[in-house]
Amino acid sequence: MGIRRRQYWGWIFVLPAILFFALFSYFPIINSFVASFHAKDIISLKAPKFIGFQNYLYIFTSQDFLNSIKATLYFAIGCFIPLVTVSLVIATIVVSLRRFPKVQNVFKMIYYSPSIVSGVVSATIWLLIFDPRGLANQFLNFLAANPSPVDFKWLALPAMARLSTIIIYFWKYVGYFVIIYFAGLVSIPTSLYEVAEIDGASAWKKFWRITIPLLKPTIEFVLIVALIQCVRTFSIQYVFVQSGSPREPINVISLNIYTTAMQYHSLGRSTAMSVSLFCFILIFTIVQLRIYRSERVSYV
Amino acid sequence: MKLVSTLLVAALLLAGGTLLLASPGQEPTGPVELIYWTHEDPNRTPLEEKLIAEFQSQNPNVTVVRETGPSGKMAEKLLTAFAAQKGPDIFNQGAEDEWQYIELGRVAPVDLKVVGFSSYRAMQNDYLPVTFNGALYDGKIHGLPMEITNWCIYINNKYYREVGLDPAKDYPKTWEQMVQVAEKLTIREGEVINRRGFDFRYPWYLQFFDPMANQLGGTVLSKDGKSGAVDSAAWVKLLQYMADWGPNGRNLGSPTYKNARSTFNNDDNSVAMCISGLYQYDRIKAQNPAFLPEVSVVPYPRFQGAVNDNGAAVYGHYYMVNASSSPAAQKAAWKLTWYFSSHVEEMLDQVGLIIPSKKLLESAVYKNKKFSDVFIADMAKSNFVFCHVKGAQIQAVLKEMVEGVMLTKVPPAEAARRGQEKINDILRQ
Repeated sequence: MGIRRRQYWGWIFVLPAILFFALFSYFPIINSFVASFHAKDIISLKAPKFIGFQNYLYIFTSQDFLNSIKATLYFAIGCFIPLVTVSLVIATIVVSLRRFPKVQNVFKMIYYSPSIVSGVVSATIWLLIFDPRGLANQFLNFLAANPSPVDFKWLALPAMARLSTIIIYFWKYVGYFVIIYFAGLVSIPTSLYEVAEIDGASAWKKFWRITIPLLKPTIEFVLIVALIQCVRTFSIQYVFVQSGSPREPINVISLNIYTTAMQYHSLGRSTAMSVSLFCFILIFTIVQLRIYRSERVSYV
Repeated sequence: MKLVSTLLVAALLLAGGTLLLASPGQEPTGPVELIYWTHEDPNRTPLEEKLIAEFQSQNPNVTVVRETGPSGKMAEKLLTAFAAQKGPDIFNQGAEDEWQYIELGRVAPVDLKVVGFSSYRAMQNDYLPVTFNGALYDGKIHGLPMEITNWCIYINNKYYREVGLDPAKDYPKTWEQMVQVAEKLTIREGEVINRRGFDFRYPWYLQFFDPMANQLGGTVLSKDGKSGAVDSAAWVKLLQYMADWGPNGRNLGSPTYKNARSTFNNDDNSVAMCISGLYQYDRIKAQNPAFLPEVSVVPYPRFQGAVNDNGAAVYGHYYMVNASSSPAAQKAAWKLTWYFSSHVEEMLDQVGLIIPSKKLLESAVYKNKKFSDVFIADMAKSNFVFCHVKGAQIQAVLKEMVEGVMLTKVPPAEAARRGQEKINDILRQ
C-alpha cells in the first residue's frame, strides 16, 4: 500500500471526529466571535445589529465585569495553589504506600470519588453543610469551644462565600490531580532513587533533585489543566447564587456570562465576555508552556 | 442513481404537501402534537391531566404532551428554548416574566373564533377588569387566565399562642409591627436561627418588594418610563428595612435560608409566618391536612404612614401559545387552553387558583372557599405586578440591591444608586 493511499485512509478515519468537533466546537466558537460584534436580545426575533467593538468597550469599562475578573482571580488563586501543591503532597504519600497495594488503592478511590460527582450535586451537598444549622458551624463552634453558637455565615458574607466555593472546588478536584501526579510519580525509575540512596542523599534531596525534575511534564499538565478548570468554574457559584448567596463576591466570569445572557438577555455582551475569557486562558496557557518547555530535564 | 432521484422528488413533494396542509385559515386535519410546559403544582396536575384526557377523546387527532418543572427553572428552560426557536406550543409564566414574550412577538393573540367571543372587549367583559392586565397588549389579549393571584400572610396559630400572642388580634398590620412580632416568634441558639418568625419570599421581588416600595411612594421607573426611579428616598428607606431584617441587622431572616413558603407547610417549628397566595391553602390540605386547623391568613401589611394603601402585587399566570407553532397547532392549543380556563370552579375548588370570571364570582364554590375573602379584599386595593419588556432583568437588579444591603453590607443609598445605574443601562439597550 502506497504512502498516499494510507494517508487517505487516515483522513477517512479521523473525518467523523473532525466533523463532530467542527459542528459542536469550532462552529459555536466562530459563531460566538461573530455574535460578540452584534447587539441581540436573546429572545427577540429581530436580526442582530452590528455594533463593532462596542460590546468589548462596554465590558472592559463596566464595574460588573471588572469585579468578575477580580472574583475569578480570587477563586483561581485560592484554588489553584492548594490544588497543585496539596495534590502533589498527597500523591507522594500514596506512592510511598507501594508496599501495601490494597491500602494504596483504597486511598486512590477515596481521593478520586468526589471528582466524579457533578458540580451541582457537590454544591448542593455542601450547601447543607454550610447551612447555619449545618456541620460547618457546629464543627467550628466545637473547635472554638464557643459557649453560645456563632453563625459564620458561610453563604452570606462575601469572604465566607468565596471561601466556601473554594473549599468545595478543592474537595472535588484534589483527588483528580492526585491520580495524575500518582501516574507521573510511578513512572520515575526506582533505580534513580536507589543510586541516590547509595550516594547518601536525604529524602528531601531526592524529592527536589529527582522527583520534581522528572515530574515536570506531569506538573506542566497539572498546572495548565488546573488553571483552565479554576478560571472556567461555574456550577458551584451558580448553585450558591440560586440559593440566595450574594452574586458580587462570587460572580466569576463564567457566571457573569450566564447572567448577562440568561438574565439580562444581552447575547452580544455575554459572547464578548466568552471571547475575552477564551483569550485570557489562551495567553495563560502559552505563557505556562513557554516557561516549562524551556526547563525540561532527562536523566536517561 | 435514478432511484435516489425519484425518492428525493417524492420527499420534496410530500414536504410541499405538508406545508400546504398547514397553511393558515384551514382546519387542521392531520394529527397534531401539542407540547405543553408548565410549573409544578401537585394539585393542578391531576385536574389538568383529567381535562387533557377528556380533550383528547373529544379531539382524537390531538395528542398533548404535558411537561412540568420547578417554576424558577421553567423560566430558564423557556428562555433557552425560545432563544433556539424551539419553544413549546403552550406554556405559562408569571405576568412579569411572560410580558417580554408578548411584546417581542413570541406569543400569538387569542384566537377569538376558538373561544367564541366577537371581540377582545367582549371577552374582557366576562371577567374582573384586572384579569387581562398581564396579557393585553396592542389591543389584543395574548393569553387565557390560569390564575389571578395576590399574596397575603399565612400564620401558624400554634406558634403565636406559644409566645402568648393571639393570632386573631396580634397579627402584624404594619411592617414595623412585623419586626416586633417576628422577633417574638423567632427562636435562636446563639446567632443561629432555629425558627424564623417570618421571612420574605425571595427572589420574587416584583411581587412582594416593589409593592412595599409603592406603599412608601416609590416606583421602579420614572413617570415617563424612560429611566429608573429606584434611587428615591422611598427605596432607600425600604432597603434600610431589609438591611435591618437581614443577618447583619436584627438577624430575622435571609435569602440564604430555605424558602419560608415551602417549609411553612411542614409545621416543623422552622417558620411561623410566610407570604403566599390562596393556592397555598390547598397545597397544605394535600401535603399536611392535620396542620390546616392551625392556619390563618391575614392581609399584606402596610408601612406606618404609607402613601399608598396597596397590598402585594396582583399577578397572573396565563396559558400562552407560541407564535412560531404551526397554525394547526395554534388552533388546537387555543382550543385546549380554553377548555382548561373554562373550568373555573374546579380550578378554585381543587387547586385554589382564582380565574376571576363573573361566573366564578357568582358561584357557591367561590363564596364558600376559605380565606378567599381576605385575598379578594386585599386584591381590590393592590396594583397589578410591574409588567415591562425588561421586567425580568429589572427584577434581577432588585435582587442584587436587596442582597447587597442584607448580606454584603452595601449601604442602602449606595445599593439604590447602583440599582438605578443598572436599570438605566438595561433601558438604554
